[in-house]
Amino acid sequence: MEQTLDLSVILPIKSAVAKDFADYFDKAIKSLKNQQLGFKELIIVHSSEENLVNHLKSYDFENLKVILVQYKETPNYSEQINSGVKKAKGKYVSFFEFDDEYATIWFKNAQKYIDVYPQVDAFLPLVIDVDEKNAFNGFTNEATFAANMTSEIGVLTNETLLSYQNFQTSGMVVKKQIIEDFGGFKKSIKLTFGYELFLRLTYNNVRIMTIPKIGYKHMNMRDGGIFWNYKNGSEVMTENEVKFWIESAKKECYFTQDRGIKYVATEN
Amino acid sequence: MSTENYEKLEKSINNMKEKLSRIYFMVQDTKGNAKASVRYIYQMAITLKRAGYNAIILHEKPEYTGVSSWLDESYMIELEHRPIEGTSLEISPDDLIIIPEIYGFIMDQITKLPCGKIVLSQAFDHIFETLQPGQSWSQLGFYKCITTSNKQKELIESVMRSVSVDVIEPAISEGFQKNEFPPKTIINIHTRDQRETANFIKTFYVKYPQYRWVTFRDMRGLSEKEFANALSECFCSVWMDPTSSFGTFPLESMKCGVPVIGLAPSMTSEWMNEDNGIWVGNRNQVLDVMVEFLHNWLEDNIADKLYEGMEKTSSQFSNMENFTKTIKSLFERYTITRLGNFQEQLNKLQETETTK
Repeated sequence: MEQTLDLSVILPIKSAVAKDFADYFDKAIKSLKNQQLGFKELIIVHSSEENLVNHLKSYDFENLKVILVQYKETPNYSEQINSGVKKAKGKYVSFFEFDDEYATIWFKNAQKYIDVYPQVDAFLPLVIDVDEKNAFNGFTNEATFAANMTSEIGVLTNETLLSYQNFQTSGMVVKKQIIEDFGGFKKSIKLTFGYELFLRLTYNNVRIMTIPKIGYKHMNMRDGGIFWNYKNGSEVMTENEVKFWIESAKKECYFTQDRGIKYVATEN
Repeated sequence: MSTENYEKLEKSINNMKEKLSRIYFMVQDTKGNAKASVRYIYQMAITLKRAGYNAIILHEKPEYTGVSSWLDESYMIELEHRPIEGTSLEISPDDLIIIPEIYGFIMDQITKLPCGKIVLSQAFDHIFETLQPGQSWSQLGFYKCITTSNKQKELIESVMRSVSVDVIEPAISEGFQKNEFPPKTIINIHTRDQRETANFIKTFYVKYPQYRWVTFRDMRGLSEKEFANALSECFCSVWMDPTSSFGTFPLESMKCGVPVIGLAPSMTSEWMNEDNGIWVGNRNQVLDVMVEFLHNWLEDNIADKLYEGMEKTSSQFSNMENFTKTIKSLFERYTITRLGNFQEQLNKLQETETTK
């Protein structure tokens, strides 16, 4: 029997109206099809938007095992991911975005590191950040290798996170049990929901390691994307709000449950 | 007079037969730093000691750091050590003294010593460094040489025509092994001059700021064990030692499964080929080639052929059994030849006595 990674990939999608959606989506799915090591299943947690539903139903996923889960409430990235994790049958889960791509070597390397480091709970890829023109912007998750950032090369610690926030949850391969034990993304936390998750996991001694291989290509600030919206769109944030969410992540990480954090703008 | 000579010859013959003759190996004080050329000498000396020969380490000054901190304590315990300075060296005609080529001035000083003399040449580039213009080893009474490769043998023979050269290829210690864990984002760097290491690293961080999370490790000052462990953790090694004539560091790196991006030395080692490393002809290109390698490594884009080539080459230099066998057989040969010479002299003396 051909070996596959015991992994469920969770792909939340809010809308197919996004610019160049079909093109991005196709590239994202191809990056799954082209993996050098197969995986268990792809769970797409999508909104009820008609265009999106039609697109997904008509798309040729070829040999991938795809589970379409319709998220009936108002779409929300965090909640869509969490519901996908609940449905997952893999021992590991990975969070994906439709405008991103996995490197074809990623699952193969994840398996290699799982075999060598069974005590590690989550593996981060070295992420290449690109802009909408596919131009290289920089790396993410690379800071775990920097000599002055961590006491153990490649390991993401709570201490590191308290001084540096730029780590990426997308592409991570994490034990499903860890998310079940310590909770997934918190719906109420904006902007820093990924950072809060990392802080919470490392606070609870979850061992996270970055694999020094390019594993994921992430599109930065896509027009209409979550973070683009925080910067330029309908949910634009002030500097104070950005600070608030960073500080909130540092405080909320001690709690497994979402405590319904809200930002209230105050006058200076 | 002839009785005295007769007795001396008989004593020398007996010393050689009983392996009582001293074999002195001159070494430099590395001040606690690991040095492949010094390890090679110690390995040779200890091999002979364990084979029953009277091998002794010679060092210049009475204050000698020794090799316990980086090689192994056993070398200091098992081998007798003697300084040259401040003591009168015991020498008899059956003794052998083996001196690295860098000690031309010592060769000069011991020209008249009545013993066997051998030059140990590990770096062709250094052989004339401490010799006077026009001076050769044979003029100093050194007619034999031990070197590390056939290529060096050829070169030495081309300039030191009256010297016969034997080859003992170094063997990489068993301590150099592949790491059981995947490599880290660390680059080993080994240059002859420490400033060159600093320049290389600084240029890298300025020219390629996107890779500022990659760490360099200068391997100076580590014990052999630490050195081997540190080496095996890395994903690649940079080697810039253009005057090296054998290349122990890249072989150690290969044995640890760590690819080498190296500046091809002026005298390319025999074992170097396009399959076992990335050899760059131009010093200024080493950095860019290394970055290209880094990028390919991050994408799992390094050809298996390279790792296979490394394995093949390093295994050729990993056979300690062969190494010790070569040393023993060479010194047995030296002993037999020298015994023959002494016996011949003795016979001549006897003939002269009989004729009288």
